[in-house]
Amino acid sequence: MNCEVCQLNELEVEHFEIREVLRCILHTILFHRALGLVRPKDVDLELFEITYVQCGDVEVERKIDEKIDQFIDRVEKHPKKKNQICLSFYEVKNKQATWFTNKVEHLYWEQWYINLNVMQHPKTPSGKSHHSKLVVDPGVEAGGARRAALEASLRDVLFQIIKFVNEKKDHVPSIPNLEGFLFPYEITISRFCIQDGYVQEDAPDTSSIDAQLIIIALKFTLLLSPCREVKYVALCLKVNMIKPTVCKLELYSIVETEG
Amino acid sequence: MASYHGNTRSGAPEIEQIITVIFAGCLHIILESRCPYVSFPKHSSEQILSFPFPSPSSSPSPPSSCSSSSIGLRDKWFKLAHRDCPAALENIGFSHQSNLEPMIVDVILVKRSGNWDLVNYSPKRGYARNLSGKEWYRCSSENDEFGCEIESEKIIERWVVQYESKQSGDNGGGVMGSNRATCKSSHELYKKSILLLRSLYATVRLLPAYKVFRDLISSAQIRAYNLGHRVSSFVEPFTGREEADMQSFVFPPLDTSCGRLCLSVVYFSSELDIISEPSTPISPQVIHEYVGSPMVEPLKRFTAVPVSQCSPSSSPFGRRHSWSYDLYRVSPSSVNPSPSPTYSESCASMPKQLSHRFPPASLRHHIPNETPPAHMKDPNFHEYWPSPTFSPSSSPSPSPPAYNPASHILKALFRSESAPFGLSVSRLSPLASMPKNQLLPPSPSMGTCGHRVAKTDGYAGLYPTGSMVDKLFASAKEEAGKLSGVKQSSNSSSMKSFSRSPSRFSFQDNFDDSEFSGLLIPDDDDLPESSTRPDAAALFHLLEKAPPLRPDISITTNLVQDSKPVIEEISPESLLGESASLNFSSSEIESSKTTADAFTELVEYKKMKELLLKQCKGTQA
Repeated sequence: MNCEVCQLNELEVEHFEIREVLRCILHTILFHRALGLVRPKDVDLELFEITYVQCGDVEVERKIDEKIDQFIDRVEKHPKKKNQICLSFYEVKNKQATWFTNKVEHLYWEQWYINLNVMQHPKTPSGKSHHSKLVVDPGVEAGGARRAALEASLRDVLFQIIKFVNEKKDHVPSIPNLEGFLFPYEITISRFCIQDGYVQEDAPDTSSIDAQLIIIALKFTLLLSPCREVKYVALCLKVNMIKPTVCKLELYSIVETEG
Repeated sequence: MASYHGNTRSGAPEIEQIITVIFAGCLHIILESRCPYVSFPKHSSEQILSFPFPSPSSSPSPPSSCSSSSIGLRDKWFKLAHRDCPAALENIGFSHQSNLEPMIVDVILVKRSGNWDLVNYSPKRGYARNLSGKEWYRCSSENDEFGCEIESEKIIERWVVQYESKQSGDNGGGVMGSNRATCKSSHELYKKSILLLRSLYATVRLLPAYKVFRDLISSAQIRAYNLGHRVSSFVEPFTGREEADMQSFVFPPLDTSCGRLCLSVVYFSSELDIISEPSTPISPQVIHEYVGSPMVEPLKRFTAVPVSQCSPSSSPFGRRHSWSYDLYRVSPSSVNPSPSPTYSESCASMPKQLSHRFPPASLRHHIPNETPPAHMKDPNFHEYWPSPTFSPSSSPSPSPPAYNPASHILKALFRSESAPFGLSVSRLSPLASMPKNQLLPPSPSMGTCGHRVAKTDGYAGLYPTGSMVDKLFASAKEEAGKLSGVKQSSNSSSMKSFSRSPSRFSFQDNFDDSEFSGLLIPDDDDLPESSTRPDAAALFHLLEKAPPLRPDISITTNLVQDSKPVIEEISPESLLGESASLNFSSSEIESSKTTADAFTELVEYKKMKELLLKQCKGTQA
């Protein structure tokens, strides 16, 4: 079974907007993958005029909020880096532990990458600002245009999800195999990692050595070569990669910037 | 529906059945979020649901976490437990005869005309008519659910659900072409239909029309627009101009072994394009400045008084002011339609003893239980009760007065717990704070009235100085006669006199004339301003010396002592500044009767006292 990957459009958000944006996107994806009986719950965003749909399950909501809290903590620790949340759906292949390992194999059949570019602002006087849902930055009033653009972008992301869900349905496991109302899933906060091509759970804060070397080499190449050669180098890197990884994003961004 | 037990055959009838259910599901989801006012079908929803939705006996059972009993038959099909939409159910009932016919759902923005009646607003449920066989159902008519004229209709969304059979030979119209895997089994189709409906459920909430729908169902305001819908198989295509303003979203088609199901929507991208008129709020608002309110026209309220015994509804001034109730404890049982409680209550609580002596004819109308005494036709009546002087609609015709401005004075004199008119008027503002035992009529007035009553009913011996009382009544008679002339005057002058009359109610002026006349008769321009204070003072002093006959009378005596300085402080301004002086209820009639009885007893006591004194003198001698 192929693993379908969907890279959602990057969103540029303020710190206080992270929670609402992530909730909206994650719940929308999960709603489309909850093929069991659900009681949909309409939720109105407070910061935007958007209504999204939740599964209506308390456990799902709790798990999502927990991951969002982790993401916000990581953003606060590494404010200058782009951050990404990955929502993966998998099937459990080997439920029984073997003699040598107790690890249960997860066969991922779908991954969603949510890319957020958190804008940096001076810290507010309050302590953990990410726990306050409606802390309005004084600069928000001046950023009305930015907010409107973000709302439009968020709406585009939701439509992107809808399109992807309807365009690719064959990889979705059959419903009789569904235990419960929702396919098993996991939410990871991804970092740069090239190891075996999969997004690492609890990846280290620093990128892997391989990724760092690649980035250094690419930047050196940019200094010495024209743009066409840089794109060739990036293409080679892509071909050599077995699975799409986060590292590729930064390579593409560098290529686009220089190109 | 085919079972899931490994049946991989196409199952054309099952697929057709699933397609039919998809049509119904799409309609339900669309109308659920676009139909703010729905009607309720006469028949049960289960009966409707049973028609297009065959029993999903072979479908996977819902999870045990959800109780199946609470989930409708429809919900089990697509695993989506959402609220009922009777509009969709009714439309389904008209039906979609064939899967090959497209189902086009137009969401229409109905704008109402500006002249619509808020008072008679009543949301009409149900739909207007079925225009034709092709149009399954129409929500709006010339008059929408609110009975308002429809100014314009605008299609803000158009949903098209279409199933193209492969037999028709049209399979290349899909967006994604033929690369998509075909649902070779009903199982696959069922799974994909669930995904499709999930996406539709989320999409309808992302479009601008959903906000309009939410505004309509959530807001208490009545807006100048409404949402309607139209389900049909054939519609006129949009013009080029309309299409230019609209955006479209096409769901990836759902390929089956027998055909392809396509779902698309054309919509206005901006809510501003949808709504261009502000709504008309009908939220309740408190109006502080209404006609006759004390804040707007504190003086005018005394002039806005009806003259005839018209019903309160017929007269614009017939409504009582609620602000007068708290001060003067107006009883709702008062039948006088006059808005001025000063005079209306005086009529209502007119004691019997005085009613037959000074009865305004209007009292018959205002005191239903009172039998009109024969002497109500007393010609003296008009002398003492200038009735319609205070009404703007007063006519020179000898119509019986609606109220008696001076009757309240007499009532005040006989009340055991009410202050004299002048006193009560002077205390209009502090009346509420004034304890009841202080609200007693002045003894001179009471005594005078009692004497006057005694003249007819045996109260002659109330006061040893009968001449004083006669003097009071005589002056009162003169003033009443003058006031009766006022009755014939024009409205303006009567109003003017009315507005000025409270000044004459002051004790200072009343006692300039006599002890009693000023209290009885409202002042007029023609009335001489004579002081009655010395006589009144003497009468008060007399009553003060008299031993208490009853506890209420003793209180009255005390009040006389206490009220004396207050009387002097009465000013026309204070009288004019008060909203109403006296409101007399039926209970006060009884209290005045009790007071009259008390005076009767007082007179008798006086007689006995004199008799005893004589006897004592005789024995001593």
